Amino acid sequence: MSENSLGLSLNGKPRHFEKVPDAERLLDTIRWRAGLKGTKEGCRTGDCGACMVLVNGEPTLSCLVLSREVAEEKITTIEGLSTEKVGRLVIAAFEEAGAVQCGYCTPGFVVALAAQLGGRGPPPPLETLLDGLEGNLCRCTGYLAIQKAVAAAREAI
Amino acid sequence: MTRSDAAPKARGGVGYGMDLEAPGMLWAALVRAPVPHGRIVRMELGPARRMPGVVAVVGPDEIRTLLPKGALEAERPVFPLDEIRYRGEPIAAVAAETLEQARHAAAAVVPVVESLRTDARIEDVFPEWPSAAAAKDPRVVGHVHARHGDVEARFRSADLVHSETYHTSGVHQVALEPHACLGEARGGKFRVRTSTQTPFGLREDLASILGIFESSLVVEGTWVGGGFGGKGAAFLEPYALLLAVASRRPVKLSVTYAEEFELGRTTLPSIIRLDTAVRGGKIVGRRVRLLLDTGASLPGRDFAVGYSIGFLLGPYRTETYEIEGFAVQTNKPPFGPHRAPFAPQSVFALESHIDGLARRLGVDPIEFRLRQVWREGDRTAYDQPVGPFGLEAGLKAAARTAGAWRTRLPAGHGIGVACGFWSTSVGAGGEARLSLRPDGLVILQGEREIGNGSVVHGLAVVAERVLGLSLAAIRVDYGDTATAPFDSGVFGSRTLGALGQAVERGARSLVTILAKRVGASEIHLEIKSGQVLVVAGRRRHKLVDLLTPTERAEGGLVVEGKFYGPEREVDASRVLAGSVYPYQDFTGAVHLAEVEVDRETGHLRVVRYAAFQDVGTAVDPSAVQGQVEGGVVMGLGAALSEEMLWTPEARLANPGLLDYRLPRLRDVPPIHVELIEGFAGAGPFGAKGVGEPPIIPVPAAVANAVADATGTRVFEMPLTPERVARALKLL
Ligand code: FES
Ligand code: FES
Repeated sequence: MSENSLGLSLNGKPRHFEKVPDAERLLDTIRWRAGLKGTKEGCRTGDCGACMVLVNGEPTLSCLVLSREVAEEKITTIEGLSTEKVGRLVIAAFEEAGAVQCGYCTPGFVVALAAQLGGRGPPPPLETLLDGLEGNLCRCTGYLAIQKAVAAAREAI
Repeated sequence: MTRSDAAPKARGGVGYGMDLEAPGMLWAALVRAPVPHGRIVRMELGPARRMPGVVAVVGPDEIRTLLPKGALEAERPVFPLDEIRYRGEPIAAVAAETLEQARHAAAAVVPVVESLRTDARIEDVFPEWPSAAAAKDPRVVGHVHARHGDVEARFRSADLVHSETYHTSGVHQVALEPHACLGEARGGKFRVRTSTQTPFGLREDLASILGIFESSLVVEGTWVGGGFGGKGAAFLEPYALLLAVASRRPVKLSVTYAEEFELGRTTLPSIIRLDTAVRGGKIVGRRVRLLLDTGASLPGRDFAVGYSIGFLLGPYRTETYEIEGFAVQTNKPPFGPHRAPFAPQSVFALESHIDGLARRLGVDPIEFRLRQVWREGDRTAYDQPVGPFGLEAGLKAAARTAGAWRTRLPAGHGIGVACGFWSTSVGAGGEARLSLRPDGLVILQGEREIGNGSVVHGLAVVAERVLGLSLAAIRVDYGDTATAPFDSGVFGSRTLGALGQAVERGARSLVTILAKRVGASEIHLEIKSGQVLVVAGRRRHKLVDLLTPTERAEGGLVVEGKFYGPEREVDASRVLAGSVYPYQDFTGAVHLAEVEVDRETGHLRVVRYAAFQDVGTAVDPSAVQGQVEGGVVMGLGAALSEEMLWTPEARLANPGLLDYRLPRLRDVPPIHVELIEGFAGAGPFGAKGVGEPPIIPVPAAVANAVADATGTRVFEMPLTPERVARALKLL
């Protein structure tokens, strides 16, 4: 297994890591090298959405991406997003709607929703936003409170 | 009322078991049994020990060399000493500098095993329905048999006997966060941080497995990314702690989803036979027989069947009955609790059966239930007194909604009703420590919030109500088993109902103490400019001025509230093992489902859903609503798609989310939630536990809706398209 140094742009800051195995997944680099544990580790197979981050603004499952593949790209995690306006708005909507129970899925939902609401121009229709969350699993809420949060966040934008 | 943990969680700011880390920490991986049943002939650990980055490898021998003697005598030692009992059972473990290195080394341990006969399914153990004599079979790890009244006579004189057999499947909790823990051991002292629902219960469990005193071990809970019953008993902790002893370093152990599925501790399959005798339109006799697959569970599992069978009698007056249940050991991973353990399965069978019976009698299914449902003042089949109970009210409310739905029911659609009951558990009781400080109240607990809000939010709301102090000035703080007062943990829907009473008592004693100090009969608290004020009539005192010098030095006025459950009068001769764990009240749930059945594919669509939940008093209605919605959707998963599939060689065929299908956002129908209040529970302000009841009636409601739509009953759950198609004779 070969190891090399790796540079990443994380939440607007350049980060540099030594001796990173070539096969290391972005999820692990973010959590264990950068120490940003707001990105959650669930299934590691691309089926739950807990590990969602933004790569150049696009929602991306960090468990399915090698860190090396995105060395040139701009990566935003929940920690970065929650300091931005759209992130704060979405988080407030989740809080108000009672859409957070164990919270393990929540950062992934926030990232996936904020990515869709972050663009210029009017927000996409509600149905489009909900379709955009099909990759995110929640085992606690039954999704109805999350749907309310989505509608509220869309209104607030 | 928003929850104080919501925004920090949404920002990714709270630490779960998966996030644990410590300086100098090693990563661990498990070596798992390659056969479902067998003996280890030889297992070389030397080569793995010499692999890059590996610091420690432990197997059965290290239980003897590294732990006190008691560890060899544990009911279930860290690693099996004699037999492998299920495929994937951990038989050794590795700690290394990186997770990759640990997994590599674990994969390099290849034991030589001798295979033994595999019992993959109940039918492998009992091809025929067993007689009572079969209870002596070593693979029967629990057996209950009880009767009441002259059952035979009732069956002989019945107008009608309704007999059916149901099958249910294995279902996994799938908490989004996998199990994870971090163990440390130094000088005979052990410490484990872990994602657990029950820190104190876990401490007891681990102490017996490791052969140590409870006082040598500290358990600290992390935030829990969903528990649903799966994060109670010892799971990964023994391996992490044994590796910590061997390596003298902190050891982190977490599992993948595949391991999570293969290690089990889940609901397992069952076969249920029900016979019901009816006379004059009423149920006069019941026969209930249950074969419950308990996987690789050890003997003494009477409670598992005793408890399950209670749900099979249901919330109905039962004049005579005979019940018999067998807990059947197979070579699957051991059975474990999952949100309302085994109730959705029992209720699927019972409520399908009752529904079919009503239809056979030509009686409206709701009307038929109303004829026999428990009311306050009744006693259950096990002679437990029934207190205020909202099921009758729930059925009446459901009848109105069903009537409205039926007026515009499209062809191919059907409506199903089902009800269930739950008894709020007391567990082993619990205590809360309340510290009233000059700037607010702190409630100290050993267990952390697992998600439903009962700890972080519910306990704070109870204190808020008693003290009058605003929620913003109340904080729930978490200790470990060494610093926090004892509590049984978060399970059995007990947190608010039972532990909440400890908090309520603590808060009331604060009121009493302070009222005395200011010489008033009634007081309440307020917070102003960050200062707690004691308000008595028109007088206001700063709390800080009322504290003794010692209290001031200690930071505030500290009290403990305790609650160890109500006294009950129950005829012990009628009590089955495990069927009546300490409970404090009964709650009821009535559900309605409208489904559309595709007559060509057997595919079901749940069009809409309604849940009528007896809550006693809703302490926070929006939080209760969230519990009901979440429970219904989890129940829909079990009703429609969730099923663990084992091969005849006891290999789990679908250990992952790709083939074990959970409900997703777009699968969820509109859910109408109606809270039934006015049937007070024993909890604070009349609250009853509501975490578990909402999952219970779901599979039955869906199955009954299918029967309504098609005239055909499905006797197996989940109701996959294939099963529905087979029932409709499309396949
Ligand atoms: S952890 Fe990446 S999708 Fe589940
Ligand atoms: S809040 Fe627990 S998984 Fe969504």
